[in-house]
Amino acid sequence: MSTINFAAREINFKLVYYGPGLSGKTTNLKQIHAHVPVESKGEMVSLQTEDERTLFFDFLPLDLGKVNGFKTRFHLYTVPGQVFYNASRRLILRGVDGVVFVADSAPNRLRANAESLRNLRENLAEHGLSLGDLPYVIQLNKRDLADALPVDMIRAVLDPDGVAPLFEAVAQRHVGVIEPLKAVSKLVLEKLAQRA
Amino acid sequence: MLEPSLDLYGEAAERVEGLLVDLLTQSRARYALLIDRQGFVILHRRAAWAPKPPSLDSLATLIASNHSANEAIAQLFGEASFRETVQQSDGVGTYVESVGDKALLVTVFDASAPLGKVKLFTKRALERIQAVLEETREAAPVADIGGSFSVHAGALLDELFGDGKTP
Ligand SMILES: Nc1nc2c(ncn2[C@@H]2O[C@H](COP(=O)(O)OP(=O)(O)OP(=O)(O)O)[C@@H](O)[C@H]2O)c(=O)[nH]1
Ligand SMILES: [Mg+2]
Repeated sequence: MSTINFAAREINFKLVYYGPGLSGKTTNLKQIHAHVPVESKGEMVSLQTEDERTLFFDFLPLDLGKVNGFKTRFHLYTVPGQVFYNASRRLILRGVDGVVFVADSAPNRLRANAESLRNLRENLAEHGLSLGDLPYVIQLNKRDLADALPVDMIRAVLDPDGVAPLFEAVAQRHVGVIEPLKAVSKLVLEKLAQRA
Repeated sequence: MLEPSLDLYGEAAERVEGLLVDLLTQSRARYALLIDRQGFVILHRRAAWAPKPPSLDSLATLIASNHSANEAIAQLFGEASFRETVQQSDGVGTYVESVGDKALLVTVFDASAPLGKVKLFTKRALERIQAVLEETREAAPVADIGGSFSVHAGALLDELFGDGKTP
C-alpha cells in the first residue's frame, strides 16, 4: 500500500512488473531507465544471475516531483519469472500498489503466462490482496515475433472479462513500454483519490 | 487511507533525528538510517566526516529486501527472525535492527568504528527510538491527498512521460 512519510514529506508508491520467465520484465525497466530524464530517476539495481536472469529483483526509483508539498515517487520492481523463485516473488509483492503483468506473445509461452497469472493471484492472497482491487494492467510483449499469437487469444486466457487495460509492446525496441507504466500509475493515483 | 510508514511526525521526528546523530557520534559510524520494511527511507543522518554515501534508495531497498529474505530463511526453520544482521567487509559494514514490525534501523560503519560499539549504541538508539514512538500521541497531520493530489500528480505524469506514446 502507498506510504506517506511525514518526516520527509514524501509519498511513495510501489509498482511491480510480474510475468513468466523471459517475458521481458527486466527489459521494460532498462528501457524506462534509458528514456526517463536524469533528474527524474535514480540508479537501477539488478540482482541477477550470470546469464542475466533476474534472481531476486530489479529496482528503479522514479521521481515525479512535488505534489501538494509532498515529494512523490514511484518505486518500480520486477520479479524473477522463473518458476522456482517463488519465495522471492512473494517477498517483492509486499506493499505493492500496482501491477504490470508482462505476458509473452510466443505460442509456446501461452501456458506459462496463465500459470504466472495464477501464481500472482496466489501470492497476492498471501498478502491479503486480490487482483480485483489492485490497479492492474497487462502488457502483451514481443509483438514482433513472426508467430506471435493473436491479441484476442491471449486476452481470452488472461483476462476473459476484458477488465484490465491491455497494451501491445515490443519492449526491446521501447515500443509500448511507457503506456502501461503511465496507465498503472494513473490507476494508482485514482485509487488514492477515491480512498482519501 | 494512506498508510503512514511509521507514526513519526513533527517533534517526535526531530527527536529521532537527534537520536540518529547521537548514535553516529557515540559509535563513530558513518551513516544512520531509519527505513521502512518496503525499502523507503524515513530519516537518515550522515557523520560530518563521512564520505558522500551511495544512493540511499538503492541502499534502503537492498537492506530491506535482504532483511525480508533473511526473515524468510529463519522462518524455514520455524523461527520468527534472526537475532542479528551484520555484514562486514574490510572497508565497510552494516548493522540492522528491527524497529517494531514496520521499520529498520540501519547503521553503516567502517574500520574506525569497532563493531562492539556499533552494536551497543545501535541497540541503545533503538530502545530510545521505540520509547519516542510509544510516547508519541501527536495526531497525524492531515495531508492534502484528496482529488487535487491525483490531479496534480497526473499532470506531472503527463509531463514526465509525454502523451504516453512511444516513438
Ligand atoms: N523478440 C523480442 N524479444 C524481447 C522483447 N523484449 C525482450 N525481449 C528479449 O527477451 C529476453 C528476456 O528478457 P528479460 O527482460 O530479461 O526477461 P525477464 O522477464 O526479466 O526474465 P526473468 O528475469 O527470467 O523473469 C531477452 O533476450 C530480451 O532481449 C521483445 O519485445 N521482442
Ligand atoms: Mg528479469
